[in-house]
This record gives sequence, structure tokens and C-alpha cells, in this order.
Amino acid sequence: MSSEAAARIDGGAIDSRARQAAAQPILSARDVEVDFTLRGQRLKAIRRCSLDVYEGETLAIVGESGSGKSVFAKCFLGMLDKNGAVTGGTIMYGGRDLAKFTTEREWRSIRGKKIAMVTQDPMTSLNPLKKIGAQIREAIELHQGLHGSRARHEAVRMLDMVGIPDPERRYGQYPHEFSGGMRQRVVIAIAMACRPQILICDEPTTALDVTIQAQILQLVNALRRDHGMTIIYITHDLGVVAKVADRVAVMYAGQVVEVGLTAEVFFGADHPYTWALLGALPQLGVRGKGLPAIDGTPPNLFNKIIGDSFAPRNRKALNIDFIEEPPMFRVSPTHQAKTWLLDPRAPKLERPDSIRRLQSASIDQPTAEATGSAPREPLVEVKDMRVAFGSGRKRFVAVNDVSFTVYRGETFSLVGESGSGKTTIGRAILRVNPLANGEVLFKNRRISGKIDKALDLEVIRSMQMIFQDPMASLNERAKVDYIISEGLLNHRLYGDEAEREAKVRKALEEVGLLPEFSSRFPHEFSGGQRQRIGIARALVMEPEFIVADEPISALDVSIRAQALNLLNDLKRSHNLTYLFIAHDLSVVRFISDRIAVIHKGRIVEMAETEELFRHPLHPYTRALFSAAPSPNPDIERGKRLLAYDPAMHDYSSDKPVWNEIAPGHFVYGNQRELDGYARALGA
Amino acid sequence: MMAAANIKARTGMSEKQLFDFAAFRFQDAERTGYSEYSYWKSVWRNFVKKKSAVIMLGVFVVLFIFTFVAAAIGKYDVNNLRIVDSLMFTRPGGEFWFGTDNLGRDYWAQVWHATRTSIILAVSVSAGQILLGVIIGMMWGYVRKLDRLFTELYNLIDNIPTIIYMTLIALMIGKSYFIMACAIIGFGWLATARNVRNLVFMYRDREYNLASRCLGTKLWRILTKNILPYLISVIILRLALAIPGTIAYETTLAYLGLMDISTPSLGILLRNARSFFLDYPYLLVIPASIVSVITVTFYLVGNAFSDACDPRNHV
Repeated sequence: MSSEAAARIDGGAIDSRARQAAAQPILSARDVEVDFTLRGQRLKAIRRCSLDVYEGETLAIVGESGSGKSVFAKCFLGMLDKNGAVTGGTIMYGGRDLAKFTTEREWRSIRGKKIAMVTQDPMTSLNPLKKIGAQIREAIELHQGLHGSRARHEAVRMLDMVGIPDPERRYGQYPHEFSGGMRQRVVIAIAMACRPQILICDEPTTALDVTIQAQILQLVNALRRDHGMTIIYITHDLGVVAKVADRVAVMYAGQVVEVGLTAEVFFGADHPYTWALLGALPQLGVRGKGLPAIDGTPPNLFNKIIGDSFAPRNRKALNIDFIEEPPMFRVSPTHQAKTWLLDPRAPKLERPDSIRRLQSASIDQPTAEATGSAPREPLVEVKDMRVAFGSGRKRFVAVNDVSFTVYRGETFSLVGESGSGKTTIGRAILRVNPLANGEVLFKNRRISGKIDKALDLEVIRSMQMIFQDPMASLNERAKVDYIISEGLLNHRLYGDEAEREAKVRKALEEVGLLPEFSSRFPHEFSGGQRQRIGIARALVMEPEFIVADEPISALDVSIRAQALNLLNDLKRSHNLTYLFIAHDLSVVRFISDRIAVIHKGRIVEMAETEELFRHPLHPYTRALFSAAPSPNPDIERGKRLLAYDPAMHDYSSDKPVWNEIAPGHFVYGNQRELDGYARALGA
Repeated sequence: MMAAANIKARTGMSEKQLFDFAAFRFQDAERTGYSEYSYWKSVWRNFVKKKSAVIMLGVFVVLFIFTFVAAAIGKYDVNNLRIVDSLMFTRPGGEFWFGTDNLGRDYWAQVWHATRTSIILAVSVSAGQILLGVIIGMMWGYVRKLDRLFTELYNLIDNIPTIIYMTLIALMIGKSYFIMACAIIGFGWLATARNVRNLVFMYRDREYNLASRCLGTKLWRILTKNILPYLISVIILRLALAIPGTIAYETTLAYLGLMDISTPSLGILLRNARSFFLDYPYLLVIPASIVSVITVTFYLVGNAFSDACDPRNHV
């Protein structure tokens, strides 16, 4: 099994650093156990988990939320929450056992100085009331013993090192004057101030846009190279892993289930969970077909887990998986997996198709089936939409002269980064945000502005929305039954109580939930299940048009495929039309028929999905595509990042227009640019 | 594997069976991974842990019931008290359990009647001002168009000194309990409304409210189903703290002579006692202790409840 992986390593996919260091772990965790006490119950977050970290490597710990990946890394720093404690095992670092540490004083000799951490949210990890410079200086003074102008000089140097332009001026600014990506650079600078040996990056780019994410990853990589640091990434994003990691550890239910060199894990995975995780990536999906989703939800760590923790969700589980926990099997000197499938007595199971597709590295080829071009009936038309917030000098135009048509039965996607106005467009169509200019037509009737009552009711019923955050979009204090029937109650869409209950039951079944869930409260459900409740709430109204606002970006990797499949199935069975709002290009490519790319409130390019992916014209579209992570480490490492700077357009004399450059392919640009685009298309 | 024989013995499966594929059960995969946690059960469990609050709550309940019993076991009826000069300032004893007041009337009957009156007044006034405050606060916070109107109204009423306002009402309209209760409610809602408004701001733009608006839910249903349940703990806390506040306020008003003295309340008893308490301390001590018991009870209960409501304490 490992021969092909080994061949790839010899082929030079991984540099020799990891192999050299393989002898001497810098940090070695053995059989670590972590318990939390929550509401009087004991929760086992980490169950006898072992992992070695080698000097100078980049190790990625991958897992879903609740897999224990963050908790595990926090043990190395003594940063567990108050109700949690390491209850077993050893963590050897520099000849000392970190698991035995009890006092803050012991930890202070390690935390920050030897092992530092960069957290997920750059918005909350800086003090908003202190200048950036002062915050970096504080760390320098504390850990390097420098003071006065020397500390200041060092702080400016650190800012420069993490790639912040004009560091002298930036030194005196407050966090709110920095963008998200810049703040994350500052956080990294603070972590670097004490020259740690190990830098733990806990989802460092999750809160950032794709183009910024790629820059931050490059920065961390450069810092590691220049300072000989060891990096531990904690992430759920396999694209990030493919880009940066030398080795990968996959965690599930508080245990490392597979660990190996990146190429070994991506191309030669042996654990069914790793297969499922990789297979569920929309990048590997075939459009028009379902994604190989992972059923169910992760296990409840309050309960005692018997056997293989992944067995209940594994369609190919063995009988022994339910009885006895599998040991770690050694596949190669660097590659281990914890599954009974590697036992000599187990039946031989082929890796699934998607993993093989990943191997053949053909994922950037179009995978779509030809879509029939039936006569298209416009369902929703947006004309010259402009949405503005505030008034007077504080007026901010979020959406600027946007026009597009969504045809019946298609999935139309709006792609853009945060703040581009894509959500505002969706909400303006649903009449939550008022228009400053332009109009919205639904079945050729104007629905923006003042409309009569009958049409208003009809529009409410036929246009529904699915929300991004399954935690915030359900009323926590209402039962699922009420949440789903809210629309029915508002419009009296049922004859008697029995009919209402039947409708709720049917909606629950359609989204793959059990009917008895209707008497429960939302907090009893996992993120993916809550999102399906949100879909059922929209579905029960029998809508024709659904605005899906980033419906899967808050979900775990293993749950995303479920939700995407569900949306696709419902589209077919209920004859739905979607306006799909997203920032993740791989998802958009898998689900949409046509895509519009939006930048700063303006659509810059619009085309059919494959046309757009094959011939991206606008520089912003190209930058976006180049930053989108691919799950193939070989492709990901060879990729060159394109940057987009709006200043590159010279619109002073030659005014830009919205132009159809090829049938169905629109792009925004001035005459000179359009000529260039046309040449690029022709070539 | 060394364990294999062990497993075989335990399960009765052969080695071959053990390594066969198992049947996939959808129900097991979909079983929710989340604990059964009920917010209100946890609130109750934490509240019960505060022994002092529970005991004081018990004392208060007994006290309130006793205000009805006391009239029945007492020798004198509060409605038929006669002014007898010879019995002035009789010290507490066998005939008059709490003694008599400056006019020779039985103090036992008066004290318990006053306690009952004060508690009923305090509870109804508090409930009234909280109810009004919550309704106005929710509208104020949720409906953007009403924000300006209620803000101005709030500023207007809040800037009138309350004592002047109460004096004017008492002198021009009347001092009856009903009128004074309405007057207290009339400005008592302000603090609650502002508090509720600020809380509603936190919930107003959550996605679940947006979802309700997309489903065409009417304002009233959004307020009662989406907003109110999140405010319940705050409302109960404010109610618990408003009751001793109202009793203290009523005492102040009575002291200033702005209450109707024909029916005794604790405030009126305290007002009467002030001229004589140096010589006859029992006239002051008895009603003052009852006021203290009520105040301390609701203060402890309110604080215990607010601690119990904090989800961070639900461990």
C-alpha cells in the first residue's frame, strides 16, 4: 500500500528535511488523556493520543470540530480551560514532562518562550485599546529583556519581518486601523517576539479571505525557513494542509487515527475516516452526481466509546470495529493508521474512487456533464440594483449597479470575498434591505418597493432563505416543531393540527432527520443537523426560489458533503432555483450552473461555470482562482499566487462597461481591457 | 493479536466473523451527539444550592400566609379598632400582643394588616411596572421607527424629579392606593424599558429573526416567540429586585404624607412611629423588622436567581 506513496517521496515531492529529523522528536506526546467536566458530566476530549513532533517540520493536525485537535495542542502550552485537565500520559519536551506541570510558574518558562501560539480570530486576540507597537513591545520587553529605544527598534523590525508595509507609521496605530490579514500578521509578530522553538497555529486563516489566507501561509512558511522553527498547524481545511504540511495527523474523536507524510496521507490513506474526509471534498466531486458524504454526526464524547470511534458512521465497518479498539498499524516507517483494515486477517478493501482521482492529479480537469440548453425562463431579474447604508457623509454603497437574471431551475452563484456585498444582494432580493436604486422582478412582476398585499404574501411564500450560521439562525428557545411550522402558522397553510404535524414530519424526513426530533430544542443538535432544520423551515413553505447564503461555510468538512448533496437532491425533487452565495470556489464549481464574481459591490465577471473556470478574464477572478486551495499537495505546492490590485485599472478617460465578450460570458472593463480579454479568449 | 482470543470468548464470534463487514445502521450514525441539557432545570438546580435564598424565600411565604392567619387569631379586628385614651402606649403583653399605638389601638391587628397591604401593593406595582417596561422596551428596541419616539418620551419623564411628580399627583388627583400605585408604575417602567431595549439590541439582528421576517412572521409573534424567551431571566431578576424597592418607596411616600392613611401600610405605621419611637421603640422595631425581612428576602432571591441564570455557572 505504501509503495506508491514511497515512490512519490523519493520522487522529491517532500524535501529531505522531514526524513533527516525523523530520528529525534523535539516534542513527544504519549498516551495523553484530557478530561473536561461540563455540567456535572465528564467528557473525554483526548483519549490516549500519541504524537511526535520533529524539529524544523511543519506538522498539520486535521480534524472536525470536537475532534480534540485544539485541546490536544493546548496541552502543550498549559492553556486548557479551567474545567479541563490532563489526566494521563506524558508530553516530553526538552527533557521535561509537560503533563506533570501544575503551576503557572512552570508553564511560563515554556509558554511564549519555547512554544507560542497564534489563534484563529485576529479580531479578538489583540487589545483594541492599545497601540500595535505597544503590544509587540510588551512581548519583547518581557521575553527578550530589551527596553527603551532598543525595544522599539526591535518591534518595528518585527513588523517589517511579518510583511507590514511602512512599519514605522504602523507602529503607532491601533488594531482597528488594520485589516483582518494585517492583524493576523501582528499576532504572528507578537508570537515571534520571543523566538519560540515551536509555533502552534490554531486555524490561523479560517477567519480570513482566500487571497489573504494564501499570503499568511506564505509568511509562516518563510518565517519557519528563516528561523528554523517547528510549526504545528491545527486546521480543518485540507487545502491548507496540502499547501504547507510536511506531515499530517488526522484526528477523530480525541485520537490520532492516521499520521504520515503529506503525500502518504493524501495519496495513500489507509483509514476509512481519512478516505471519507478526502472523498467528501467538492473539488473531487463530479458535477451532477452526489458527493460521497459521511453519514451521521461525530460521536458524543460524554459516552464511553467502544471499539473504533468511526465505526457507526462507516458503511464498510467490520464487526470487530464495534467491539475492540484497533491498534496503530505501521504502514511505513513514517506512516501509521489506526484501523482493523490493516490487520492481515481483514478483507482487502480498495480505496474509493475519489482518492484515486486525487492520485491521478486530474482534478483541475472539468468534471461536469453537458447541461442541456432548454429554453430558459427568467425567474428573478435584478436590474441596476444599488443598495446603500447610512446617509450623508457616512453613506456607504454596498451594492453598485448590479444586474443579472436567474433562470428557472438553475443554480446561480455569487462569489466574492467578505465585504463584497454578496449577502446584501441576496437580502435585497428578499426585501430585507431596501433598494436605493433599480428594481427586482419575480416572474416578470416588480417586487421591490411598494407592492400590493396579495403579491407580498405570494412572494414571501415562494422566496425563502437558508442562512450561513446554523447556530445563530435557529431560535434557541423554541422547539424544532415550532421553528419548522413558523411559516405555516403565519400564513395558515394547513387545515387542522394533524395536517400541520404531517407537514413538519414530511419536511424533517426530506432533509434526512428523524420525525421524533420535532419535540426537541435546537441545542441538542450538531451543526449539520441544525443546518438541515433550517433547510426544512424554508422547504415547508414550498418555495420556488431559495437564496442560500453561505449555507455550508460554517459546517465541518464531513458534514458539508451531506448538505451539498441535500441541496442538489431537493433542487431536483422540488424543482427549485437557487441563488447560491459563497466564497469557496470549489463548492461553487461543484454546485452551480452559472457564476458571477463580485468585487466591492460590483459584478466583475459572469459566465457559465466551466466557461469561467476555463477562461477567467478579469484579473480579480484570476487572483481568486489562483488563491483557492487544491487538495492535491503536488499541485498546491507548484502554484503561483496572482495578486489583484484595483489600482491596475486606468479608468480615468476610458470608462468601463459591462460587456458580453462571448455568448453568456460577461466581463466588466474598459475598451482597452476588453480588447485584451478578447485576444486572450481567441488564443 | 493477543486480544483476539479474549474477544472471541467474550462475543462468541469466530475470527472470520469478527473481520466481516457489519451492517450499517442509519439510526446509530444520526444519533445526536449532544447532551440533554435543559436551561431551566440547570437554573433551578443552581438556585436551590443557595441555601440562604431558599430559607428566606420560605420565611417570606410563611410571613405572607401569616398575615391572613394573624387576623383570625388576633383578639381585635382591624376594621373595628376603637380609640381608647386609657390604653395609649400599652406595652406588648397578654392582652395586646404587640401593644397599642398612640391612640390606644391594637398594634397586632394593624401590623399584620399593613404587612399584607404592603406586600400586595408592592407585588402588583412591581408586576405592573415590569409588564409595562417589558412591552415598551421590546417595541422600543425592535421597531426602529419607534426608537426616536420612545427615547424622547424616556428623556421627558426621566428628567422630572419623581418626588415633585408624586407630590403633584397626590395633591391634585388623590392619595388613594390605586392612584398612587398607578403613579409609581407611571415612572417605574422607565428603568426596565431601557434595560430591555438594550438587551433586545443584542438579539434584534440575529439571523433567526431575519429568518422569521423572511417567513412573514408578524411583529407581535416575533416579539413573544423570538425575543421574550431570551429576556425571561432578566425580567424575573428585575421583578425580584423591584418588590423591596417598591416597599421602600411606599414607605418614603407615606413618610412624606403622600399616602392615604385610612388603611395602614408598613410605611404609614413607620411614619406614625417616628414621633414616639424613642420612648416606645416597639412601635418602630416591629414594622421595621418586617420591612427588613421582605427586603433582604427579595435581595437574596434576586441575586441567587441572577447567578443561577448565568450559563457559565451551569457546570
